[in-house]
Amino acid sequence: MLLMLDARLASIPGVFIPLLDAPRQALPLDAVKVSAGFPSPAADYEDKRLDINEYLVRNPVSTFFFPVQGDSMQGAEIFDGDILVVDRSVRARHGHIVVAFVNGERLVKRLHRRAGLLALVAENPSYPALEIQEGMELEVWGVVVGKFKRLVG
Amino acid sequence: MKSVFALVDCNNFYASCEKLFQPKLKDRPVVVLSNNDGCVVARSAEVKALGIPMGVPWFQIQAEARRYGIVAFSSNYALYADMSNRVVEVLSSFAPSIEVYSIDESFLDLAGFERQGYASYGVEIRQRVADWLGLAVCVGIAPTKTLAKLANHCAKKGLAGSDGVCDFTILPLDALSELFGRIEVGEVWGVGRKITARLEMMGIRTVRQLRDANAETIRARFSVVQERTIRELHGESCLDLEEVVPDKQQIMSSRSFGTLVYDLADLEEAVASYIAKASEKLRAQDSLAGAIQVYVRTNVFKPEVPQYQPAITVALPVASSDTRVLAQWALRALRRIYRPGYGYHKAGVMLLNLSPKENCQLSLFDAQGGAADARSEKLMGALDDINRRYGRGVLRLAAEGVEKTWQMRRGNLSPGYTTSWDGLPVVIAG
Repeated sequence: MLLMLDARLASIPGVFIPLLDAPRQALPLDAVKVSAGFPSPAADYEDKRLDINEYLVRNPVSTFFFPVQGDSMQGAEIFDGDILVVDRSVRARHGHIVVAFVNGERLVKRLHRRAGLLALVAENPSYPALEIQEGMELEVWGVVVGKFKRLVG
Repeated sequence: MKSVFALVDCNNFYASCEKLFQPKLKDRPVVVLSNNDGCVVARSAEVKALGIPMGVPWFQIQAEARRYGIVAFSSNYALYADMSNRVVEVLSSFAPSIEVYSIDESFLDLAGFERQGYASYGVEIRQRVADWLGLAVCVGIAPTKTLAKLANHCAKKGLAGSDGVCDFTILPLDALSELFGRIEVGEVWGVGRKITARLEMMGIRTVRQLRDANAETIRARFSVVQERTIRELHGESCLDLEEVVPDKQQIMSSRSFGTLVYDLADLEEAVASYIAKASEKLRAQDSLAGAIQVYVRTNVFKPEVPQYQPAITVALPVASSDTRVLAQWALRALRRIYRPGYGYHKAGVMLLNLSPKENCQLSLFDAQGGAADARSEKLMGALDDINRRYGRGVLRLAAEGVEKTWQMRRGNLSPGYTTSWDGLPVVIAG
């Protein structure tokens, strides 16, 4: 491979300035593999790197993501812009935070189902609870099992 | 062991996927349109109830659409494919082997699961898919695939069974005969329109009549395929699960353009991107293409404009699966057939003379030989990996272009609810 050295840089060991039109020589990855004298002492302790999916998503096939808009669930630490992890394989119970379809809207609320009272409750004093009455359409779409948000774009 | 199959089929699959994430569509009539928003390819239950047939051009039902408030969607293939994969994954936990028959139908091998009764197992499958994925399925259960398909038809139409599950294995023979007497022969798997017409001329109109027909006669008049159908209708299993899809003999990629295309440059972009898609499929089945066909078409439905429908096939000096090589040849071919002055409506490529990679032949004139092949294989492998991980088309040939002005018209495409960060369905905390 033909290299031309810049006079000023040539004195610094290890700096090569290639010609703009110099032919390129690709090195196969194998060629730069370093063969170590001793096996790594950590080899026996090797473990899989942590995967955030494992933590947040227990059942990928039934898991869906929903971004949040609004502040009515602040008390449950669910904020505007958070992305909810919703797992349909979890059976919705009293006290679960759920994604619910009510009268044509997608909502996130806490499910209240006690003593014959069915309601969707906010976690913010400025929002009243939504009592589900006869003739209202409620579909509990799935249970919110977690949330995440990326802070740096 | 006695064979038992289940056919699990999603109800109104495309329309159901659209409804799943959009509460405003509950109880609304929904249709999904084909490429370029041409024809109705899927209908929700409400649309079926209105008597609107499958395949009808969208522009022909504008009056009904307005009167009943029908909502039309362009085909959101990314969404349907993801939901289909999820259904298959759920079904896989119910049977040791499964044949994915189409995007919304799978055969399950249920042999040996009779302990609790097949029907209740079917109910369990149905409930699981509904709970986990919010999609309704019908389950047909029978000793043969042909009968399972028929049982599924009965479940869907409510002719037999209950709650979307129909189990032929527990129906007594006379009940089955009575049922088959009420079903038209055209509903049998593999009996198409032409065969139906010929059978009717022989006086065979119902499934029962076909089952009871003389197998020898049918074989003589039609073929072994129809004879096998009769045996399957009798409960003798002749068709096994096809777990692995056999390799395709040719791979096609073509589309109609959203607007007419006049320039060679735009056609080149289109052809290059079809080659990219087709060669990805080619590599997925570990094959090489020996020849390429390229064609372009003007709009044949507009006879008043000048027509030109050329096609050209080029044989490659060396069989290849490298997108760059295939694109180079395809573009060269395109330039040979392109003529200015026509409004092109469609273009397509077909990869032909496919052969398995392992018995590929090196050309005498392929100067670079094996090393170049290995390098190309690595590069293409990386290309496919990246596109699989980050989404189709993230990494592509420069020749495919960026703008894609020729891309098909998809006027009312729903977001990628499950496949794109920008398409996620927003929930209101209010």
